[in-house]
Amino acid sequence: MPRVLLVEDNEMNRDMLSRRLMKAGYEVAMAVDGAQGVEMARQGGYDIILMDMSLPVIDGWEATRQIRAIEALRATPIIALTAHAMAGDRERAMDAGCHDYDTKPVEMARLLGKMSALLGQAPSP
Amino acid sequence: MPLAAAEVSALRHDLRTPVNHIVGYCELLLEDAATDADDARRTALRAALASARDVLALIDGTLSASGQDVTPGAIDALHTRLRAPHDRILAAMDALRSPAAGDGFSADVERIRHATGRLLATHRSSVPTPAAPVSPAQPASPASPAPPAHTRGRVLIVDDIEENRDVLRRHLTRQGYAVDDAADGAAALRMAAEVSYDLMLLDVRMPGIDGHEVLTRIKRDPATRDIPVVMISAADELATIAACIEAGAEDFLPKPFDPAILGARASASVEKKRLRNLEVDYLKQVDRVVAAATAVERGSYAAGALAEVARRDDAIGRLARVFDAMAAGVRAREERLSEQVHTLRREIDQAKQGGADPAEDELDAGTLLPGALFADRYTIIRVVGRGGMGTVYKAHDRELAEDIAIKLLRLEVMRGDPTMAERFKTEIRLARRISHTNVVRTHDFGEREGSYYVTMEYVEGITLRGLIDLRGHLSPAATLGIARQLAVSLAVAHEQGVVHRDIKPQNLLLDAAGVLKVMDFGIAKLADRTSTITQAGMVVGTPAYMAPEQLMAETVDARSDLYATGVVLYECLTGVLPYDSVNPIALIAKVLNQVPVSPQEKDPGVPAPLSALVMRLLAKDAADRPQSAVELGELLAQIE
Repeated sequence: MPRVLLVEDNEMNRDMLSRRLMKAGYEVAMAVDGAQGVEMARQGGYDIILMDMSLPVIDGWEATRQIRAIEALRATPIIALTAHAMAGDRERAMDAGCHDYDTKPVEMARLLGKMSALLGQAPSP
Repeated sequence: MPLAAAEVSALRHDLRTPVNHIVGYCELLLEDAATDADDARRTALRAALASARDVLALIDGTLSASGQDVTPGAIDALHTRLRAPHDRILAAMDALRSPAAGDGFSADVERIRHATGRLLATHRSSVPTPAAPVSPAQPASPASPAPPAHTRGRVLIVDDIEENRDVLRRHLTRQGYAVDDAADGAAALRMAAEVSYDLMLLDVRMPGIDGHEVLTRIKRDPATRDIPVVMISAADELATIAACIEAGAEDFLPKPFDPAILGARASASVEKKRLRNLEVDYLKQVDRVVAAATAVERGSYAAGALAEVARRDDAIGRLARVFDAMAAGVRAREERLSEQVHTLRREIDQAKQGGADPAEDELDAGTLLPGALFADRYTIIRVVGRGGMGTVYKAHDRELAEDIAIKLLRLEVMRGDPTMAERFKTEIRLARRISHTNVVRTHDFGEREGSYYVTMEYVEGITLRGLIDLRGHLSPAATLGIARQLAVSLAVAHEQGVVHRDIKPQNLLLDAAGVLKVMDFGIAKLADRTSTITQAGMVVGTPAYMAPEQLMAETVDARSDLYATGVVLYECLTGVLPYDSVNPIALIAKVLNQVPVSPQEKDPGVPAPLSALVMRLLAKDAADRPQSAVELGELLAQIE
C-alpha cells in the first residue's frame, strides 16, 4: 500500500483529503505545518508527498526546497497543492522541486491519476 | 483603482478553500451514497455540488488567475452573485438534516454548511483589508483549529465583528502565530482563564462587557494579569484608549490597521510575555527556596523538596542544590541534638527522683525573708542560690505579674570602687543585648538602700552542679546535649562582644525540658576587678574552671570561655575535675603545668572523638583550642 505524506494546515482539508486518499487505497500520514512536514519526510518511509503551499512556520515552497536538499529524498515525488491557482504557480512549484502541481478545489480523479503516474502504477492503486 | 495582484491571490485562496471543502465532502458523501437507496440524499448532494461549481466559476470569472484588472466594484458584484449559490447549498444541506442520518454523515453535512458560510464571510472581510504587501509565496491562510507544532506565540483575538476577527486571524496565522478568537467579552475572560495567551488583541467597543471592562478584569486577576493586551480601536476612541493604557494595556492598534504595525506589536508583546514568563518562573523558584528556608526553620523541611529547582542550570538551581545539601546536614544535626537533649532530660528526671538539688539543701533563708517586699516591687519567695557574687532569690514581680530571679550582690563586690555601680550598669546593658533560648535573660540593675541587685529571668530547673552531684557523672549523649547548647549560647554572646569569664556548672541551669540556660553573662568581669587569686574561691568561684591565661591575668577572650567549657564537659563525663586540689595555689600550678588524664582513659565508655575534643578545649595555649564557639559547635555536631 503506497504511503502518502499530506502536509496541510487546514483541518477540514486534512480530514477530507485523507479520507478520500484512504478510500483510494493509500496509507496517509499528516503534518500540520511546513517544519513538521520536512521533519516527517526526513524520517523517511513515504512514497509520495502532497504539499499545500500556504503553510505556517515554513511555507510549502520552502519546505519543498528543504526536502529536495536531503539526498535520500531527491527522488520522492512531491505534488504541490494550492488554492491560489494563480498564473505562474505551476512553474514556481516545478522550480522549487515539485514533480507536479494541482489546484484546490481538488478534482480527485485527476489528482489520483497524477499520483499513480508518479508512482509508476496503474491509475487505480 | 484595481486591487493589487497579491490581494487578488489572497482572495482567490480564501474563496477557493471553502469551495474545496464543499466539493470534497459532497463527493465523499456521494460515493458513500452510491449504493444507498435514498435518492433524495443523492439529489441534494448533487445539487450542492453543482452550486459549488457555480461558485468556482464565479470566483475564477471575477478574480483572474493573472491577478490583473480586478476592481473593488467587481468584488462587490461577486459578493452579490455568490449569495444565490450559497443559499442553494445551504438549502440542500437543510434537506439532508435528518435524525436518521448517522453521526459521521451529519458531521460532514455540518462541515459543508460551515464552509458555505465562509464563502460570504471571507469575501466581506477581504474587502476592507488594506493592500498589504502580501507575497504569493506567503499567502494568507485560514486559521487552523489545530495550532501548528511550532508557533511564535498564541494570540487571542477579541472582537464582536466576525470580519475583523478573520482579517486579524489571517494575518497573524500567516506570521506563524497560533490564533484563537472570541466574539464577546465573557468568552474572552473564560478563554484567558484557561490558556496562558502571549497576547490578547482586544476590541474597545463591544456589546455586553466592553473592551475596557475586559481589560480591567484581566489585569485585576493575578492569574491573567501578565497577558499583554493590545487594544483595537477606531481613531475616535482615543480617550477610551488612554483610559485603557492607564488600566494596563500595552498599546493600541488603530483601525483600519496596518499589517506591519500589527506584526511589530504582536512580536514585541510576545517577546515581553516570554521574558515575563521567565521572570515569573524564576520568582516562583525563589519562592520555593524561601519556603524551604522557612521550613528548615520550623523543622518541617523534607530533603529533596527542592529537587525540581535544583535541576536548573542557573544561579537559583545552584543555590537550591547547595541549600538542599546544607538542610540535610542541619537536619541530621538537629535530630542528633534532639536525641541528646532527650537523654539529658531523662537523666535530669532520674536525678530528681533520687533527691533534691543538694545545693538547695545548704541554703539558708538569706537576708531577705520570704514574703518580704523588696524595692517596692518584688515579693521574695525563697532563696534559690548562693554564689561568690551574692544570694539569688526567687521573687514575684508585682508590676509585671511574673516570677523573676533577683541576685542581691554582696556589699564587698561594690565596696572600694565608687565607679562600680556605673560599670555594672554598662555590663548589664551589654548583657541585655543577648536574647537567646540558651541564655538567662537579664532584666535590670538597681540599688536599694545601699544594696545593689540584678533582676533576671527565673528558670525552674536544676543547675548542672546539682545534676552532676546527684548523678555522679552524665552519659556522653547527655553531655553532648549540654555541650552543643552551651556552644550556641557562647556563640551568640561572643558575637555581641560579651565574654562570660565564669562558665561553671553553678552558672548553667537546666529546665525540665532539658534546655540549657547560661546565667551571669558579663558580671564576672566586674568581679575580677575586686578579686585576687586568693579571693577567687569567694568571688568568682573556684579557679578550677579558669583558663591559664585568665589565672595569669593575661588577655582574656572568647577562647577562655571555651577552656571553661572543656572543664565543665570533663566534669560531666567523669564526675571529677581535670585538676583538683584543696589548695588554690597548688591547683593553679597544676593548671599551668600538668596534662590531665583524658576522659576516655578514665571511662572507656566515653567516645574517642568527644574525649579528644574535650582535651583540645583544655589546651594551655588558647591558639591550640577551637578558635570560636561557632567552630566548637561545628565540631560537636560531627560527633555521633
